[in-house]
Formats: sequence, C-alpha cells, structure tokens
Amino acid sequence: MAPHVFFELKSAVVGIAGLGGLGSNVAVALTRLKTGKLILVDFDRVEDSNLNRQNYFHDQIGRFKVDATAENLRRVWPQVSLVEHIVRLNPENIVNIFAEADVIAECFDRADQKQMLVETVLSKMPGKVVVSVSGLAGWGASNEIVTRQIHSRLILIGDGVSGLRPGVPLTASRVGVAAYHQANAIVELLMNHKVPVSVQGSQGT
Amino acid sequence: MIIRINGSERQFTRDEWPASVAQLLDYLQIDQATVVAEIDGQIVQRKEFSNTSLAEGQSIELIRFVGGG
Repeated sequence: MAPHVFFELKSAVVGIAGLGGLGSNVAVALTRLKTGKLILVDFDRVEDSNLNRQNYFHDQIGRFKVDATAENLRRVWPQVSLVEHIVRLNPENIVNIFAEADVIAECFDRADQKQMLVETVLSKMPGKVVVSVSGLAGWGASNEIVTRQIHSRLILIGDGVSGLRPGVPLTASRVGVAAYHQANAIVELLMNHKVPVSVQGSQGT
Repeated sequence: MIIRINGSERQFTRDEWPASVAQLLDYLQIDQATVVAEIDGQIVQRKEFSNTSLAEGQSIELIRFVGGG
C-alpha cells in the first residue's frame, strides 16, 4: 500500500532550530510524513556524548549535525526537500533564516537559547508559530510531559521543571517523548490549518 | 498595588513595588536569561527588562525555560 500523503504537510515549511536530542528526532518524524520542506539549523558537530539521545550514528561522529541529519533524512526519502544552515542562530539571523517557515521548532539545549529563540519569534516574526520544549531531563514520568498552548503563537511542551542537574541526565527515552510531542504538535497545527501555509503567502495568525 | 502574574493577582506594598520588569524578576528570584515576558499582550524583549516599568493593574505573563534538549 502506498503511504498516505497529507496535502497539508506536503505544502508546509518547518524550521528546526537546533539538531540535538529534540531536533534530530523531530526532523525524522516530519520527513517520514513527507513534510514539504525542512529548514535545518545547527552550528555543532556530532560527538560520542550525543549518541545517548540524538538521532546520529557512531560513524557520524565529527560531522556537522546539519550534514549528518540531512544524510539520515535522505536515507528515509531521497527526495526530501531541505535547506541547510551551519550557523549559530541569533536574534538577527533568525528572522531571515526562518522567513519561509510556517512553524518553527525550538530544539535547543540551553535555557537562555530557548528564551532567545522564542522571544525573537514572538516579538519580531508576526504570524509565525513556535513550538518549544522546557523540562525533559531524567527518565520515567512520561505523562508529566505535556503539550500546552500558552500563547496564541507559542506551544510549550515538557514538564516545565526538569532541567539539567547533577544525577539527572538527558535520556533517549524521555527526550524522545518530548521530541515526538513536539513533532505531533507541529503536525496537528499544520493539519488543522492553524498556521498560514506558505503556498498561500499569508502572514495572518 | 496589584499586578496579575500568570493569571494570579499579586499584591505589593508601595515600598515593595518593583520599578521594572528586571526588579520584578529579581523579587521572584527568576533568572532573566531564562524567561520570556509579556505585558498586556506585548512581548517585552529581555534587553528592555531594566527599562520597562510596571503599572498598577497590568497583566504579566512570564514564560520560563529550563535547559535540556
């Protein structure tokens, strides 16, 4: 049976800010559903310490995460449409890099970077929706990770409190729960037309 | 004097009244680097926290982030 293709996803553009435990997994989920285009942004390279939760392979250590993610996504569907930026995001370049995106996934690791991305989208990018994650460290407590719409243009995923601290590592199992909440929230937004889809050229909310 | 923070009313005496968003965050012991602030539906950028004063009756949303991803 041919895979179902969702028109709403096929015509969508999703920006992914950071390709760590969240972004590398969100990108795979959205690629499997044949999302129209993904804008992949990360400045970092794959390290062996990433392999406990990030969607990379041992033989990709040392490569830029953008390149390694692109390779992995093309192994799912060779025709996937990607825009690749190996750059550190800041309040100035975010606006241009994600100009075409219908939804932006905040997939950073550090709290101040999450703040920076969300603040920039909400204050400088009218009409854009951001799906962010806060609170996913540790293991277990799957049902404490929730998806909440807390602003007209911000969906926040996580338990809100579990940050990194000694003895509470990040795990593939719990980061994965959050990453797939994030991917699922993006799919829901696009399927429900709650964001302006780029082919319509609309900037409304 | 009252402001509303994340939907809950919060009362301050005149002496306690925070002069700015930055002072409010200090009072609440929240790290400025990890919060997105909105006053009456308008985002206040982090670099403006010290310059943005508060007024009686305003509604403030503080969206906090913890690390990990």
